[in-house]
Amino acid sequence: MSSGWSLWVMFLVVINLGITLFLFLWGPRARIPTLPDGTSGHVWAHGVLREGVRRLPRWWLLFSASMFVTAFVYLFLFPGFGNHKGALGWTSHGQLDAAVAANDARLDPLMERFRLYPVEQLSGDPQALQMGKVLFEDNCAACHQRNGKGNILLGAPNLTDNDWLYGGTGKDITTSIRDGRAGVMPPWASLGEDNDNNLVQYVLSLSDSPHDAAKAAAGKPLFATCAACHGADGKGSQAIGAPNLTDHIWLYGGTVTDIHTTIHDGRQGQMPVWSKRLTDDQIHVLAAYVYHLSHMTHDSTP
Amino acid sequence: MAYKHFEAIEKHAGLLAIGIAIMVSLGGLAEITPLFMEAHSVKAPPGVKPYDALRLMGRDVYVQNGCYLCHSQMIRALRFETERYGHYSTAVESVYDRPFQWGSKRTGPDLARVGGKYSDAWQRMHLMNPRQLVPQSNMPGFPWLAQNTIDGADVQARMRTLRRLGDPYTDADIAAAPAAVAGKTEMDALIAYLQGLGIDNEPTSPASGTATAGNAPASTGGTP
Repeated sequence: MSSGWSLWVMFLVVINLGITLFLFLWGPRARIPTLPDGTSGHVWAHGVLREGVRRLPRWWLLFSASMFVTAFVYLFLFPGFGNHKGALGWTSHGQLDAAVAANDARLDPLMERFRLYPVEQLSGDPQALQMGKVLFEDNCAACHQRNGKGNILLGAPNLTDNDWLYGGTGKDITTSIRDGRAGVMPPWASLGEDNDNNLVQYVLSLSDSPHDAAKAAAGKPLFATCAACHGADGKGSQAIGAPNLTDHIWLYGGTVTDIHTTIHDGRQGQMPVWSKRLTDDQIHVLAAYVYHLSHMTHDSTP
Repeated sequence: MAYKHFEAIEKHAGLLAIGIAIMVSLGGLAEITPLFMEAHSVKAPPGVKPYDALRLMGRDVYVQNGCYLCHSQMIRALRFETERYGHYSTAVESVYDRPFQWGSKRTGPDLARVGGKYSDAWQRMHLMNPRQLVPQSNMPGFPWLAQNTIDGADVQARMRTLRRLGDPYTDADIAAAPAAVAGKTEMDALIAYLQGLGIDNEPTSPASGTATAGNAPASTGGTP
C-alpha cells in the first residue's frame, strides 16, 4: 500500500475510534435536563409514555470498555493501522510458511528413512504405502482409477498387472512419474482400408486371439512397417514404450473395432510430467506404491 | 457539544440516517477503496502475456458455460491448499482476466494451476462425459462444445475491445487471430485455455530444497 493510502486508512481508523470513544466517555457524563419527576420530558402517546433518565448499567460500560481495549491491542499487535506491520509481524504468508515447516518437521524423519531404501524395498513399508495411497488417489486416480486398474477408453495402463510399457523396475517407474511419457502410435489410414483390416487380423493372430487366418496372412507383410517399433515378433519395446502385441493385455481395448481405430487413427497416450507438481520424495513414495500395486495382484492371482 | 445537539439527532430521522451512513461507510472506505485504486497499478510480470486468440475464446467459453459456478481459480495461502493445488495465487497472475475468475464456490477443484496436470485427451473425454474417467464425479458433460465452431471475426472484435482496455495486442496478433482459430471448436479452445492455466506464470521462489512434503515452492515473500 502506498503511503498516501496508508495515511487514508490511519485517518479513517482514528476518526472511527475517536468518535466512538468520545461518545463512550462523554455519554455517561452528559448533563441531561431532567424534570422534577425524573424524566427527560420526552413523551409519546399524549403523555402516557415518558422517557426516564437512568445511569447506564455497569455491565454495559465494562463490556464496551473491553471492546475498545481489544481494538487498540489488536491494532498494535496485528496489521490494520495503515502500513503498521504489527508488533507480532504476522502475515498470512508467514503463517503458511510456519504451517509448511511444522508439517515438514513431522515428516522429515519419515522421508529420511524412505530415502535410504530403493523403490522395490520401500514397497513393503506400510507407512510409505499409506502415504503413497493418498498421493495416488489425489494425483493418479483421475486416469489410472483409484484401484490402479487403468482406463482403456483413455489408454491409461493398468498398473496392477505387472505388464509394463516402459519397464517395471523402481527406476523405470520413478522416471515415468517424474518425467512423464509420450506414446506415439502414428495413424495408418494411408495404407488403405483393406490393408488396415488385414493388419487388425494379423495383430489378433499374434496373441492367438480369434482371427481370420486368410486376412492375417495377407496382413503379415505389412507388419514390417510396425516392426520398427513393435519388433518383428510383435513383442514390443520398453525402451520406446511400444506395447507387446503377443499378450492379451490391450491398452486401448482388444476388439476388432478398437484395434482398427488404433491402427487407422493412431494413438497419442500421454503421461504428464509430475516433477513440477510433486517433490522427489513424493515421487519416490508414489513409485513404491505403484510397484506394490503391481506385485500385490501378481502374487495373489497367478 | 452539548446535549441539545444529540437531542436534534434524536428528533430528526434524516439527520440520524446521515450520521449512521457516515459511520457505517468508514469500514468500507478503509478496506475497499485503497485496494480498488491500487488494483489499477498492478502490472503484468515479464512472463505473463495476454491470452492468444484460441485461449481467449476458450476463456469466454469457460465463462459462457458457467464453469466458475463450481470451479474457483484462486489458491489461498493455506497449507492444505498449496499442497493440493500448488503455489498460492497472486494478483499479477490475473491482470489479463476480465472479469477475474477467482470465485469462492468450489463444488469442483480449484483450476488456477490445472494446466498440464492432465493430457489433452483426458480433458476432451472428461468434458464429453466426466464419468468415463472419474466414476464418482458429479460434473455435467459438455458434449455440445465439440460441435460449436469458433468465428474468426468474432475473435478479432474481442481482441480489439481488450486492446482498448489496455491489453497489449499488436495489429499482427489481431490479424493472425482468424487463422489461429480456423476450424477449431469451442472444445479445442476450452482445452487450450485450461492447459495454459498457471503453467507460465507461477511465481518463482527459492527452491524448497530437501525434505519438503508439500509440493508448493517455498513461499518466502511473494506478491500479495
